[in-house]
Amino acid sequence: MTTSFLRRVPLIVAAGFLSAAPILLFVGSANANNLNPPPTTRKNAGTPNSTIVVKDKNGNVIEYGNKYITYKAPSNSLDSLGRALFMENCASCHGSQANGVPANGTSGAYPDLVGLGPATITFWIDSGRMPAKDVAAVQARRGQPALTPSQATAIAAWVNSLSPSYPDIPTPHLKNANVSDGAALFALNCAACHTIEGDGDALAASTFSPSLRNIPAFQVVEAIRTGPANMPRFTGNLSDQQVADITKYVTTEIQHPNNPGGFGLGGLGPVAEGFVGLLLGLGLLILVCYWIGDRS
Amino acid sequence: MSDVEHRTPVALSGLSEDDPHLQPASKNPQTVERVIALTFVLGTLFVAAFGACYWINAKPWTLGATLGGGLFLFGVGLVAWGKYLMPRGPFVEERHVLANSDADREAFAAAIVERGGGVVKRRKLLAGLLGGGLGIFGVVALFPALRSLGPLPKGTLFHTDWKKGSYAVDQTGRRINVGDLSIGSIVTVFPEGAQDTDRGQAVDQTVLIRISNQNYTTQKGRETWGPMGYVAYSKLCTHLGCPVGLYEQQLQLLVCPCHQSMFDVTNGAIPQFGPAPRPLPQLPLYIDSSGFIRSQADYDQPVGPGFWERHRVTGSKV
Amino acid sequence: MSDVATNKRAQRQAAGPYGKIGQTLNELDDRLGVAKGGRTFMDKIFPDHWSFMLGEIALYSFVILLVTGIFLTFYFVPSVATVIYHGPYKPMDGQRVTEAWNSTMNISFTVRGGLLMRQMHHWACDIFVGAIVVHMARVFFTGAFRKPRELNWTIGLTLLILAIGNGFLGYSLPDDLVSGTGIRIAYSIMESIPFVGSYLAFWVFGGNFPGTATIPRFFILHVLLLPLLILGLVSAHLFLLVRQKHTQFPGNGRTEKNVVGSPMYPVFIAKTTGFLFIVGGITALLGAFAQINPIWQFGPYDAARISYAVQPDWYMGFLDGALRIWPSWSFMAFGHTIPLEVFIPAVILPGILFNVAYLWPLLERKFTKDNEIHHLLDRPSDRPKRTAAGVAVLVLLSMLHIASSTDVIANFFHVSLESTLWAMRILVIVLPIIAYPVAFKICKEMQGYRGVGKRKTHNIVSRTAEGEYVATPTPSYGEDVGHELEATPVPTYIEVEPEVPFESGVRTVDR
Repeated sequence: MTTSFLRRVPLIVAAGFLSAAPILLFVGSANANNLNPPPTTRKNAGTPNSTIVVKDKNGNVIEYGNKYITYKAPSNSLDSLGRALFMENCASCHGSQANGVPANGTSGAYPDLVGLGPATITFWIDSGRMPAKDVAAVQARRGQPALTPSQATAIAAWVNSLSPSYPDIPTPHLKNANVSDGAALFALNCAACHTIEGDGDALAASTFSPSLRNIPAFQVVEAIRTGPANMPRFTGNLSDQQVADITKYVTTEIQHPNNPGGFGLGGLGPVAEGFVGLLLGLGLLILVCYWIGDRS
Repeated sequence: MSDVEHRTPVALSGLSEDDPHLQPASKNPQTVERVIALTFVLGTLFVAAFGACYWINAKPWTLGATLGGGLFLFGVGLVAWGKYLMPRGPFVEERHVLANSDADREAFAAAIVERGGGVVKRRKLLAGLLGGGLGIFGVVALFPALRSLGPLPKGTLFHTDWKKGSYAVDQTGRRINVGDLSIGSIVTVFPEGAQDTDRGQAVDQTVLIRISNQNYTTQKGRETWGPMGYVAYSKLCTHLGCPVGLYEQQLQLLVCPCHQSMFDVTNGAIPQFGPAPRPLPQLPLYIDSSGFIRSQADYDQPVGPGFWERHRVTGSKV
Repeated sequence: MSDVATNKRAQRQAAGPYGKIGQTLNELDDRLGVAKGGRTFMDKIFPDHWSFMLGEIALYSFVILLVTGIFLTFYFVPSVATVIYHGPYKPMDGQRVTEAWNSTMNISFTVRGGLLMRQMHHWACDIFVGAIVVHMARVFFTGAFRKPRELNWTIGLTLLILAIGNGFLGYSLPDDLVSGTGIRIAYSIMESIPFVGSYLAFWVFGGNFPGTATIPRFFILHVLLLPLLILGLVSAHLFLLVRQKHTQFPGNGRTEKNVVGSPMYPVFIAKTTGFLFIVGGITALLGAFAQINPIWQFGPYDAARISYAVQPDWYMGFLDGALRIWPSWSFMAFGHTIPLEVFIPAVILPGILFNVAYLWPLLERKFTKDNEIHHLLDRPSDRPKRTAAGVAVLVLLSMLHIASSTDVIANFFHVSLESTLWAMRILVIVLPIIAYPVAFKICKEMQGYRGVGKRKTHNIVSRTAEGEYVATPTPSYGEDVGHELEATPVPTYIEVEPEVPFESGVRTVDR
């Protein structure tokens, strides 16, 4: 990360890439052409509700955010370690420049990682999806991570140093989040793919929405903010508070459901209920019939 | 026990007390009696426990377990009592012919046809008048039975609350600005003012997706509809009206979670797969001088599933 | 002995040989004249075969539905007025919900025993419809619907439709996210009917979707109108059963002219009351241990929200499956639209299925020219065409049912959604077509076995001195011979078939 870039961080923090920035933006673009206002890229956007700014001893911002989520940029001291790890684990596909062009390949065959932001890199590595176990798979499955979290951070640091970008690695502070608002937002934004009980399901063309049962909170935030693979990216349309609400709902009620009515039937809903009702309920009763009556 | 069914069936009455048909089916009635007594005692304990659980307001599963266990034990005991300790039979009952004698049938038919029918035949006018009147009453009675139930559809199925210049707002009422979505983002929007009404949620719901940083044309004739890569489609599936909230950003498909119809976001939401017959109607958008996303006009066709009167299918090619 | 004791003995003697009970019965008979009929009723004979109890499962689940349902009506509020939820279930605290959802949450978390009653009600419903289907299959495959019981077949089929309809209404009442989606689909299905669809939908739901009338109207239909209809038809069903007496399987002295089994009192009463308790017990155990329809996880309905992997209750599954796999053929011409992609699978298909079922007794009489009165049942293998047709329809319905969970299957087996759907499209057509000849062939084969349906005797396996094992069948049961070798009518097949198991019109019992 270059120093000149780091000097700009407070400015970026002040402008709002994460959340509702309409007011600022509408002031900023008031004189713009009617149908073609200037594009607002994420790099120039910021978050107006960044109330927490942590600086290191040189005065550089290393952590920023608000009471719901704080984001931390990976330290640039990790760059060289990250570069080594990248060359060892990632470069065979993503290329030595992390631009998706392998040494003997053509561009476009593999994703270009430049400018994706640290959270994207750590999400894919921490969830065990990368390095890919099956390069030909339509969609990588969650698994045991091959690299440690600190190694992932190091790789993120190096890739980000090529073209500094967002989002940085988030830490949600769930004690400030509201689980009920999270439930409503989850039903509106997430349940259409992940199901209302968070189990995931098959989607188009052999893709699928993964189960949410076993995901740490910071990865839930990373997924929402970065939109891995086919998942939509939720940036300005969800505030940090809303993302924290959803994360709290996912990590509490979805992952540890309150089943006052007995065993939850695997979240498959009426399909499983039909099986239990017919096979267990009716099946047992027919066996009882068989006992009560004669069999000739 | 198993030889019950192989005894010759006898009639119930006139059996002596030591007739084999009246003996219990079980060879060890004492043992069976003890087992049944045990089920009754246990059943009583269970229902007593049910009462206790109820009294102390224990967890729901304890209520069900005690109630269910008690009922089940009582039931098993009672069935066993009937099966093993009661007369083993089998008994036989004669089946009587349901049909009556020819004379009775004839008298019945005569009463209907001659006595009653004759009266009607002689007074055809009266019968016709009464029948016609009641028939008309039957038709008329349909009006309050049906018509009062609800309003006529009139035009309500043909338009939504989106108008020229409606602000797109999310469910909390926040206006969506051009800077809010990055590529691959989706948000459910409503025309401002309708976001918390039943009709707004049911009819006006629209998905706003950003698929590019440049103006995006999804179909010929829609060159101005997708400013800055923002495209908006009705969220109501054209199959059965479920909210098409499932967006796959790399495949650029909107998928209906109900019956898996898939719509191509980049190409006018033309259905790619599944039972949906028509593309999702697209909402023409513009971005105002303040950067807010607004609609140019209402949808150019009815949103949601098909119905008999639906005929306006402008601007969409399948 | 005291005077009191002497008096009591005198009273007992005055009361006649049957004591106080006898006296009460006499008083009753003086007023109502019940002695003769009561005696006949006590002596009524019920067949012992286990398959005759399947209908009882349905009857007793209905009893449980009534009891638990009455409990639920005390607390349910059938209104879509908006309230803010403030209940013990914190993850939904502060959400804007309807009274219907709020009160269902109240039943689940606040009312003592409420959650158990709700879950029992739902499980009993799943079992109720299932038991009706199984009972109906028994009646169909054994030919119990034949003359004189066509009317009871019709009543039973109507009960099935009412049960499915009332199940759907009840499923919709909590106004949660999953059931609300179901109502949305029902609305669209109604809208798809040509000419009148949009008017019908507006009237039934009280306006454009969602309408405000849905929940209150569904409520009164669910708790009053349909239960009354079901109750009345169940009474008629049972009245006809008593009037026409039971059918029975042939053999062991059972003829067209009698009924063999156990008497109503005391044997049948004990068994059937016990069975009522058992049905209640199993329902309560399911209600205790298997969570059903957790509306607190689904949240309140909101027309813009949706969950993936949402299916209706199992008895509506075949409709949902048909809607999924039917191709997107819409009809648009002459300024009108007929949404065939909805109308055919959701209206025409069940219409055909149920109408064929209604007409089946008539059709079979027409094709077999069998206008006799039947009290003895068929073995399914004796009527291969009917059995094969029934099997094919059951296979078709099962395939449609499975098609309603293509997404779940695709996810579970890691195959693509598209190929799963195409596989189901093919299987729905191919499997019933295969099932028919296979079932037909199996029936024919079974006819070929002598002594099918007779009790098997055990083999005695002995070891000879040389170490060789020899199996000797024990003699057949003498009692298996009917107490009179009565001529049974030659079965009237749909076409003339070789009469393998029958010789000279006498049911042979050699074994």
